[in-house]
Amino acid sequence: MKKLFKNKWFIALLVILVLTAFAVLSLVPGSPVKKLLQPVQLVTSPAQSIVKSAGDTLSDFWSAITDGIAIREENKALKEQIADLRYHLTQNEEAALRYEELKDALHIKDMFSNYDIYGASILSRESDEWFSTIRLNVGSSDGIVLEEGNSYPVLDVQMNLVGRVIETSDTESRVLPLFHEGFAVAGKVNAVNGATFMVVGDAELKRQKLCLAKDIDRDVVLEPGMQIVTSGDGGLFPEGIPIGVIETVDYSNPLEVTATIRPYSQIGKLEDVFIMIPYVEEEPEASQNAAPAGN
Amino acid sequence: MSLVHANTKARIRKIVVYAVYIILLSSLQVSFPDKLGFAGQTADLMFVFVILSGYFNGFWDGAVVGFVAGLVRDVFSPPAIVGLDGEVRVTAFIGALSLFAAGIAGSAFFTKRMHRNVPFSIVAVLFVTTCYKVLGFLLILGWSSLTDAKGGLYSPLTALIYSLLPQLLLNAIAAIPLILLLRFLGPVSFRGGSHRDEIVEKQGEGSWLEI
Repeated sequence: MKKLFKNKWFIALLVILVLTAFAVLSLVPGSPVKKLLQPVQLVTSPAQSIVKSAGDTLSDFWSAITDGIAIREENKALKEQIADLRYHLTQNEEAALRYEELKDALHIKDMFSNYDIYGASILSRESDEWFSTIRLNVGSSDGIVLEEGNSYPVLDVQMNLVGRVIETSDTESRVLPLFHEGFAVAGKVNAVNGATFMVVGDAELKRQKLCLAKDIDRDVVLEPGMQIVTSGDGGLFPEGIPIGVIETVDYSNPLEVTATIRPYSQIGKLEDVFIMIPYVEEEPEASQNAAPAGN
Repeated sequence: MSLVHANTKARIRKIVVYAVYIILLSSLQVSFPDKLGFAGQTADLMFVFVILSGYFNGFWDGAVVGFVAGLVRDVFSPPAIVGLDGEVRVTAFIGALSLFAAGIAGSAFFTKRMHRNVPFSIVAVLFVTTCYKVLGFLLILGWSSLTDAKGGLYSPLTALIYSLLPQLLLNAIAAIPLILLLRFLGPVSFRGGSHRDEIVEKQGEGSWLEI
């Protein structure tokens, strides 16, 4: 037996079996197995941040050299644009004041008024086609608390859909990107009573940076160029988050009409994202009950 | 066993050099994948490095470097898969498992017959990459049939043309600088015309067990 434990192939087999067991156990909700990786995270995360910032600095420096002439031209154009915008700004300030007055009066509700928006930076992206989650620098200690079965939408700076948060630790969150084959969201054509369907990630389309629209009613007419937003069905995502535009539609099988969608968000080039977390407003009854006590 | 005569300084140096490589390569890969990509695939620096560590420096180097690099991969970009209940979950230890196996496979790929020569190391990288892609494809096929999640599937032809071939090309290209790093910057030096694997010969392949 002792001899067996000195055999390197036997040890390798044991390690492979243990790692396989850990990998399977990690799929169990709330599995403590993932906590075994925390020491590795503690050591490697700061080191990776240093390498990333060094790489970004080098990349910026190189861009500054190569884009010098283009930047000068752009600067000139931007200065003219600033002057023009300043003029418009003074005109719009008055309109904004009017809007605020009317907003309360007409009870206009902001589309995402029931959501807290948290900013986050992308720490790391996919390392190959299968290891493809995105890591963010905010976690439960920053207020991103995720319960089992729940999820939060992740948007880019233009408020386009990037993916959804599927796991959080104390200091980090993991995002399932829009292209991932496990991603699914209810979408609709951005129009009054627009057709609804499911937008999902697909392994074949992922390499072309496209998503798949399925469960489309065969009577629905979809055309390339139509804008797709979240429909709000299912409750995880609010209605109206821009997803992308339809690129192609396939009516060849009337029982399974599909379309490809090119997302607005350029996930590979993102640096910063926003997480939308819904909050429950205090019930008016509670505040009314509290008021007389104070009086 | 030759472990008794092992040089502590050499071992510490080996650990430090490997740690720097692992942190640097894994950080580069997950921080700038768009700069390392082609046709939807990314040059897998960590994977290639692990294979080469096993190929040049033996079984234990491949196994330990593979295991540690895999743990780092599990922290930086773990795979998310659809569970049996239909929920997507982030997994753990799949990186450690795959890179551990890759390190061992690299160390066993005709290393004795080919005397760990440099040109054949690229063949080792290509062979292990092919095994990784084929096994990954088969695992996804099996898991998808269990979970009834078809989104992760693609046809064998697509897998060949758009997944395997670009990955082989990228990994072969990535192997060239990594071979130079491993051969000339350590942890095992082959300079001075020596083609002998000094550390493995002096300390034996089991030197990690002593640490």
